[in-house]
Amino acid sequence: MRKGLLAVALCGVTGSAMAVGDIEILARTCNNCHGVSGVSAGGSMPSIGGLPSAYLSKIMKEWKYDKRDAATMNRIVKGLTDDEINALAVYFSKKRWVPLPQRASAAAMAKGKQVIFENCEDCHGATGSDPDIDAPKINGQAARYMALELEKYRDGAFEMPHRKMNKIVRKLNGGEIDAVSDYYGAQRK
Amino acid sequence: MNAIHRRDFLKVVAAASGASVLSIPNAHAAKPKARVVVVGGGYGGATAAKYMKLLDRGVDVTLIERDRLYTSCPLSNEVISGERDIKTLQVGYKGLARHGVNVVHDEVTAIDPVKKTVATAGGKSFSYDALILSPGVDFNYGAVQGLTKDLSESRLPHAWKAGPQTLLLKKQLEAMPDGGRFLIVVPPGPFRCPPGPYERAAQVALYCKHHGKGKSKVVILDANDSFSKKPLFEQAWKELYGYGEGGMIEWVSGANDGKVERVDPNALTCYTGFGEHKGDVVNIIPPHHAGKVAKDLGLATFKDKWCEVKPENMESVKLKDVYVIGDACVGGELATNNAFPKSAHMAITHAKVVVASLAAKFNGLPPPVPLYTNTCYSVVAHDWGFSVVHLYRVQNGQWVYIKDGSGISPVTFGTREAPKPVPRIFRRLEAEYADGWLRNVLKDAFA
Ligand SMILES: Cc1cc2nc3c(=O)[nH]c(=O)nc-3n(C[C@H](O)[C@H](O)[C@H](O)COP(=O)(O)OP(=O)(O)OC[C@H]3O[C@@H](n4cnc5c(N)ncnc54)[C@H](O)[C@@H]3O)c2cc1C
Ligand code: HEC
Ligand code: HEC
Repeated sequence: MRKGLLAVALCGVTGSAMAVGDIEILARTCNNCHGVSGVSAGGSMPSIGGLPSAYLSKIMKEWKYDKRDAATMNRIVKGLTDDEINALAVYFSKKRWVPLPQRASAAAMAKGKQVIFENCEDCHGATGSDPDIDAPKINGQAARYMALELEKYRDGAFEMPHRKMNKIVRKLNGGEIDAVSDYYGAQRK
Repeated sequence: MNAIHRRDFLKVVAAASGASVLSIPNAHAAKPKARVVVVGGGYGGATAAKYMKLLDRGVDVTLIERDRLYTSCPLSNEVISGERDIKTLQVGYKGLARHGVNVVHDEVTAIDPVKKTVATAGGKSFSYDALILSPGVDFNYGAVQGLTKDLSESRLPHAWKAGPQTLLLKKQLEAMPDGGRFLIVVPPGPFRCPPGPYERAAQVALYCKHHGKGKSKVVILDANDSFSKKPLFEQAWKELYGYGEGGMIEWVSGANDGKVERVDPNALTCYTGFGEHKGDVVNIIPPHHAGKVAKDLGLATFKDKWCEVKPENMESVKLKDVYVIGDACVGGELATNNAFPKSAHMAITHAKVVVASLAAKFNGLPPPVPLYTNTCYSVVAHDWGFSVVHLYRVQNGQWVYIKDGSGISPVTFGTREAPKPVPRIFRRLEAEYADGWLRNVLKDAFA
């Protein structure tokens, strides 16, 4: 499964007819919301620069082919060809992951740390910087964005196809969701 | 583009989206590679100036902007309702200066397209190889009888350029008695921010609902028969504030005599073809057109209001080496009613198209193929937002509206025969994403 995804991402690009100059033009349209080089100004918008290309292309295709819900992104990617999606994924994966360590209250940090130790560390690492191959980095990711993503995984009415994430997040309450988001969002490394 | 060219081109463009800025060989030479003058430091102009520098440091970039502080119109309707502090919408020009943009605070009064110079009220003159105009809009107060610029700044604020008038309108709303009538007068399209008046209606209703003015009415007197994201607005209005008969929000279409012809400022009364509407707060958005600098140059050839430009690079169809971007221009698939919306997102898109084309040109490279995108969020309550997305490509020298990459947030789920409500989480998410979008566009344009 993992290998398959990578293969799709790679051959999409080498086999693509997209001019390289054009991908810069296309990627620059993403900057409006995701920042130059995919480094977001934060809040509810995620950074995407430096995430693995297999992950990026996988979720963009899940949106495009209605396998995953989104509030906005699904409509945006539906206008792109698979080649463009693959090229964008490679393009942003080559950027540096730039964490945006955000301030959090001591109480949230303590609670977040505990919940993460018990539920999340295996797959994301203690600080979010050392994830499983199919998970993105989340150290210093925009905290509000993460809390909203976790709400999506938890909400049965919002289709998020990763069953394990669904299951784990459904165990958490609202306060815990904010705390883990604050904790990961505060991490520098 | 052949292989070698492509590689060269990459060097030029890589800097734009990349974290590291490549220095181009003659970046430090005495003579700049080219001189670009940008008029207007709003979303369009600021982005153009910044990205021109990011794409090629060897280009000399001067931005001429009247004001020292820019106030974002996007999300300024939230200021009127008290949901947002106006400071979160304000930004200065230090960020652009840090990119090496020469920022000049002055007013452009004349442009000589033959000598290729720009003159300012402060008595300065600037020469250009390429001129980018992003002056936004100017208002035609006389189009509504009885309205003047002075009245717009006092009794009848439009607040269609964010700043002092936004705060004035907020004050008038706060002073409105319970049971008062807040009139929003919408000019014939196309106007700046197609969903803006309807978002404003919701924000005003939101304020009334939570501030003991629940008996008040928000009446939209519209010169048009439809509007952007209409089913989404109507659904939200109905659910949140009551819409139509007995509700808080009422919309009077052009066909229903909604077009305001005249106003009596003392009686705060608007006159349509056959009717009259007395308000307690009267918010008249006057008809507007391309900013004066662009119009005075004779570039506003579309309905004598908006500037026509070329799809491949936003160059004026009238004047060589003059590019018009943002609200001042007109573009898109006009024949199918899919014109570019006049939005900040679109202005940023235009700016990126122009400078990519200029960077290629200054470096003797083939022109890149542009792509135009837009997203416009509307926030009708702190937990209820939605959006519209647009994608245009350029094919055979024409703008082509790409349906598959465009559209509004879903109005219903399920099927047409058996519609189901869209789960609230979708609306909540887009209300939050609007805020994230704002932070990012402000940064993309000004930081
Ligand atoms: C209430 C409201 C809500 C909106 N909401 C949204 C939204 O949610 N999303 C969205 O994408 N868009 C939104 N918009 C639209 C958005 O504000 C405009 O599309 C955008 O500002 C256009 O950018 P611009 O660069 O063309 O013009 P502007 O931002 O108006 O900038 C023009 C600049 O040029 C300067 N200028 C003009 N003439 C001269 C001169 N002669 N000399 C020197 N300087 C000059 C002006 O001072 C000004 O700073 C909204 C607009 C309104 C009114
Ligand atoms: C109008 C703002 C906007 C624009 C423009 C935009 N995005 Fe997004 N992006 C979002 C939002 C909002 C989300 C959260 C998903 C959703 O829509 O519910 C997101 C999420 C993402 C994610 C998921 C990040 C993660 O960590 O899982 C990726 C990848 C992404 N966008 C890629 C892109 C690319 C590539 C482009 C340019 C083609 C782009 N986006 C343009 C708003 C935007
Ligand atoms: C079994 C491994 C696993 C566990 C345990 C796990 N995650 Fe995840 N997580 C993933 C994977 C894989 C993804 C990407 C899923 C997808 O594609 O939707 C993900 C996605 C996320 C995202 C979205 C990131 C983004 O950029 O969009 C967040 C936030 C997150 N996880 C937080 C957590 C938290 C907090 C916990 C503990 C409560 C947790 N995860 C537990 C594997 C895991």
